[in-house]
Amino acid sequence: MSDNVLINQIREAVIDGQAKVAVAKVEEALAEGLNPEVILHDGLISAMTEVGQLFEDGEFFVPEMLIAARAMKGALELLKPLLVDQGVEPLGKIAIGTVKGDLHDIGKSLVAMMLEGAGFEVADLGVDVSPEKFIAEVKNGAQIVAMSALLTTTMPNMKTTIDAIVEAGLRSQTVIMVGGAPVTQAYAEQIGADGYASDASAAVRKAHELIGQ
Amino acid sequence: MTEVVFQPVGKRVTAQPGDSLLIAAQAGGVGISAVCGGLGICADCQVRVLQGAVSPLNDSERDRLSDADIAGGIRLACQAVIAGDGVIVVDIPAESLSAPQRSQVEGEEIPLPVEPAIRIHDLSAIPPSVDDLRGDWERVRWENERVRWENERAQGLTPSGWRITAPVLADLPGILRQHDWHARLITNESDAVRWLPPDGVPLGFAVDVGTTGLAAYLVDLQTGHTLGITGATNPQIVYGEDVMARLTLAVHDPEGRARLQTTILDGLNDLLHTVCDQAGAHSEDVVDVVAVGNTAMHHLLLGLPVEQLGAAPYVPAISSAVRTPARALGLDVAPGAWLYLPPNVAGFVGADHVAMLLATATPDRPGVTLSLDIGTNTEVTLNAHGRLWCCSTASGPAFEGAHIRDGMRAAGGAIERLMWQNNGLRWATINNLPPVGLCGSGILDAVAVLRGAGLISPTGAMRRGHPDIRREGHRSWYEIVPAHQAGHGRAVTISRADVNEVQLAKAAIRAGIKLLVERAGLSEQDIDRVIVAGAFGNYIDLANAVAIGLFPPLPPEHFHQVGNAAGIGAKRLLINAGERQRADALVRQLDYIELTNHPDFSDRFAQAVRLEPEPWE
Repeated sequence: MSDNVLINQIREAVIDGQAKVAVAKVEEALAEGLNPEVILHDGLISAMTEVGQLFEDGEFFVPEMLIAARAMKGALELLKPLLVDQGVEPLGKIAIGTVKGDLHDIGKSLVAMMLEGAGFEVADLGVDVSPEKFIAEVKNGAQIVAMSALLTTTMPNMKTTIDAIVEAGLRSQTVIMVGGAPVTQAYAEQIGADGYASDASAAVRKAHELIGQ
Repeated sequence: MTEVVFQPVGKRVTAQPGDSLLIAAQAGGVGISAVCGGLGICADCQVRVLQGAVSPLNDSERDRLSDADIAGGIRLACQAVIAGDGVIVVDIPAESLSAPQRSQVEGEEIPLPVEPAIRIHDLSAIPPSVDDLRGDWERVRWENERVRWENERAQGLTPSGWRITAPVLADLPGILRQHDWHARLITNESDAVRWLPPDGVPLGFAVDVGTTGLAAYLVDLQTGHTLGITGATNPQIVYGEDVMARLTLAVHDPEGRARLQTTILDGLNDLLHTVCDQAGAHSEDVVDVVAVGNTAMHHLLLGLPVEQLGAAPYVPAISSAVRTPARALGLDVAPGAWLYLPPNVAGFVGADHVAMLLATATPDRPGVTLSLDIGTNTEVTLNAHGRLWCCSTASGPAFEGAHIRDGMRAAGGAIERLMWQNNGLRWATINNLPPVGLCGSGILDAVAVLRGAGLISPTGAMRRGHPDIRREGHRSWYEIVPAHQAGHGRAVTISRADVNEVQLAKAAIRAGIKLLVERAGLSEQDIDRVIVAGAFGNYIDLANAVAIGLFPPLPPEHFHQVGNAAGIGAKRLLINAGERQRADALVRQLDYIELTNHPDFSDRFAQAVRLEPEPWE
């Protein structure tokens, strides 16, 4: 918790999923001259950490997490250009997408938002993402590739993507995370991924762990 | 050789060591619920092994079952493998049985002239003599050539153009001789379909092949009257409750596709014989058949490959209408009858949605009409002043009772209606049996009623500190029916996790509606009428559906619950061949919008999870 009233209001607005309030309070905080980096860390990231904790505790479900993440995202858009100006470095860069042949979006987008809310730079490549697109993002500086598959029919495309990354000679510099309803820890190990997460909150923890922060 | 005895159904099934209990159940036609198709994911197929040797508990089971379940001897039928010879006795708890549900076959009908695809020709012939040795077929054709020539020349349907196959021809000599050289021929385009006695009634068979339920109709093709009507559970359900589970089986098991096709054809023949028995008719007098279904059901019925349907971009083997010999597929109908399936739209928006739109006259209505068919996938079409947009949204099986702890299909003992009265909950069950669970409409009512009473917040959380909200650790739930009043001696409850499922289902539907309306440049308030089709849609309480934000807040008179419009549409395609042309035209008119990669879908979905009539910011 911060000593600043506005920061705490931002934090609460995000946790409660009040998108408009969150944005208004960030504007107010900026107008009062608060440091964007402080707003990011003590407001948004702190709020999303709490949301993740509430989810893990079974207190929050996907709807509350979605609503909160949407509020966070609106507020983050305001801060992003200012953070770039200040030279604030993200925790790391993650390329995320649903694998080729799979059009499921919601779960993947939630993971993307939670990662963003934790301070990572996230390139959301969308759905039906080919191995080539993931590889292009790795060449573009992504340290983590996060793949999702919601169908048993498309799950094998995670392996295809990993194989393509190996083929491209980029495996040693890439951390690979997988998830999605039919995916398990055992399957992740079997296809040679570095990590598996069962939900959006676990994905944030896993990303921290995998890049050692 | 092992014998597996399934209780309480009492079915004995012969099986091989190495088979899972689920495979044994499926082979014996014992309906165990298995949404995931036996992959060990859904944990629906919980059974208790009372006797006999099966494989030890595996990791999938340890992951999916609670400690209490494991202690109580619960196993997953798909994971427990027969380990040896002898007798295995398995108990199936009620909630694992894929119980036959109340089928929805009735629907509203708009009158239609009787102009079927088949034609009726009353023919006569001069008996043969030693001076006239022509064959029977040439004899009836020649006799009628001149008469027919004048009125049918324009369509090229003169008798000289008729084609006949041996199985159809086989009935001709007998009928001519039994009826004093008179006979009635049924043709479809230029093909001879069936010989009938001079007063024989040509029949049509229409069927709606739903993922969960089947609805079938027998129609008199001279009058257009419905002679028989019946419904059943889709027998493919033993191979998985959702479309993807069945596609996976068809793709991964070399015999899967053939097995699924045989299963549905057997199911359709059962329905055919049921409706024919109702009408006192012979199934061989069915001279035309129409089937509608989503793209997956369509392919599995026709025995088409489904690999390309299992992954994006979900391309069907064929989009246009299909006309194929019905007997060759295995339907017990007239030897020359054709099976017609209307065109598919795109993705999983299939021929059933086309039929539903025809039956509800959605394309012809003035103003702004929203038509939806709610199921595991919900198809939505918007007619905005003559422009048609449609989408399919993955609403999931929550409204069919799946993924809900005390959820069940619409079978006896399911709570279908809930209301708050005199400070307490009152419920109504199907067939007035003691309550054992909640079906789709009951689940929706439960969420709406608890939300209305302030026990659930707009985000779906259960109110803290309220005496009626029970908590154990972080699990919270509301007890709807206490154990002593329930039919199975266990309380019927709704938990935070159940509310979550309802939120995700309704958000998918509402986000789809919102995006179509936005695409048309309108707002939800511009909608003049909402047509709600399908079994679930027919039974829901509209005020509750609006209260939780499943539908936009429009005046009650804007909503029309029309029942099984897809089934009625199939019947219309049978009665009037013009409907088939209208189906082709409609599909060309429909603008399909893919929601899954729509840039605004996640945002609209995230807003629509709120349990409020107007969730939009």
